[in-house]
Amino acid sequence: MSLKLDYVLRETASNFRRNITLTLATIITVTISLTLLGAALLFGDAVDNATVRWKDGVEFIVFTDPEISPELEADIRRQLEDSPEVSGFTYIDKDEAYAEVQDLLGDSPELVEVITPERLPASFRVKPTDTLPERVDELAAAFRAQPGVARVVTASETIRAIEDLSSGLRQRVIIIAIVLLVAAAVLILNTIRMALFSRRRDIEVMKLVGATNWFIRVPFMFEGLVQGLIGGVIAIPLIWLTNNFFSVINDDVTLELLRGFTVDPSRVWTLGFQMVGLGAIVGTVGSGIAVTRFLDT
Amino acid sequence: MIRMENVTKVYKGEVLALQNASCEVQRGEFVFLVGPSGSGKSTFMRLLNKEEKPDRGRVFVAGRDIGKLPSWKVPFLRRNIGCVFQDFKLLPNKTVVQNVAFALEVIGSPRSVIKSKVPAILELVGLSKKMHNYPDELSGGEQQRVSIARAFVNRPLILLADEPTGNLDPNTSLGIMTLLDRINRTGTTVVMATHDRSIVDKMRRRVVELDRGQIVRDQSRGVYE
Repeated sequence: MSLKLDYVLRETASNFRRNITLTLATIITVTISLTLLGAALLFGDAVDNATVRWKDGVEFIVFTDPEISPELEADIRRQLEDSPEVSGFTYIDKDEAYAEVQDLLGDSPELVEVITPERLPASFRVKPTDTLPERVDELAAAFRAQPGVARVVTASETIRAIEDLSSGLRQRVIIIAIVLLVAAAVLILNTIRMALFSRRRDIEVMKLVGATNWFIRVPFMFEGLVQGLIGGVIAIPLIWLTNNFFSVINDDVTLELLRGFTVDPSRVWTLGFQMVGLGAIVGTVGSGIAVTRFLDT
Repeated sequence: MIRMENVTKVYKGEVLALQNASCEVQRGEFVFLVGPSGSGKSTFMRLLNKEEKPDRGRVFVAGRDIGKLPSWKVPFLRRNIGCVFQDFKLLPNKTVVQNVAFALEVIGSPRSVIKSKVPAILELVGLSKKMHNYPDELSGGEQQRVSIARAFVNRPLILLADEPTGNLDPNTSLGIMTLLDRINRTGTTVVMATHDRSIVDKMRRRVVELDRGQIVRDQSRGVYE
């Protein structure tokens, strides 16, 4: 049996015209669900980005003696360069130190307390290869014993707090995203079922004259595909707007902790296209499942 | 063409629709199914195109036991059985010609076949002049003619008519009967359930009477009672 493209297109076009309200309802449902899901996923990404920056910035800091000789300082530098447990470090000279450290750890009084403006020590901000708190402590202790080192401060407590916060946020975002996805699927299924119910007579006649189940199903699935695609395409600019909202959060100085709370524009586009694809799949499969109820098996 | 062997159909475990019914209809016959409401006439018809499955017994259509037919083949069975109903079952948003063409489209007929067959069948039922009207612009009799055209356009082996004149006045009913008779003369087996005494008495065809799910009379060239 041949399914003709012109038949499918004609049926779909006439169904769109006849059930314009239900079609709109389906499209709006798809759009809202995909926008929320996309926004939730973007939020998760933004949380990741924000905390990654924090993790990158601080692990522990080796503060040198303000009167350290250049030789001793070069010695510490060489040790940091040679240690396999150190993946990288940044040297902060006395001039940069105060502003830099306070900007970075403004929320961590235990560190700010250590670094007073009167005493501007140069420092090495160290990124160990292993970020486990115990390993960081071990490594920090090794440098604490070095001559010329005034103090070593690990930021482990702060890091742990941030990691707890972000993993909690991420978990919540994932739960919300799953709930939204299920809600979207159920809503789409229900809307399509309502649209089908209004056309059960067509289906009855089709069965009566001997149309195969797939012949009946395909125009409905194509309709669901088009609705899903349209809904997904409308969701793209809405997801884009959500990302702009993130930059508003970013500009809010009271949310210092979430500095870096932003997402790469290319990621927004990728996510948008993923949402269009998801809309197409949910629309097609949803229609297929919904129409099966009206077919005898 | 049609054979029922000891068929029993019970709805929801208690309503006895058919009880041990056996019946055979030859190719080209015209059979009236009569009996009061709820006597099993509609169930008889629905068993033939496998809208219902018998609880016991076997149903043969064109020599094949349709109980053994896999569900994906049921549409192909139905292409050999045209159906006409009391309420016409036309699609209100399609014109006469579209309604008839739809029956061919959904079984995948080529467009050239549709273009030649649909006007021909509408000519046969006498609706050539109303091809582009919508069903609600037609009289009841005309709508039933469209429905018959749709059922017959595919030249099925069997035409099932469930009270096709139930909603029509006596004169219009006669016109429909003339049409069904003409279709029967082309060799199509016709099974018609009816309450219309005058039609049965006038046509003098085989009459199968059902009462509470049992075949109580089977008479060739019979009358309503």
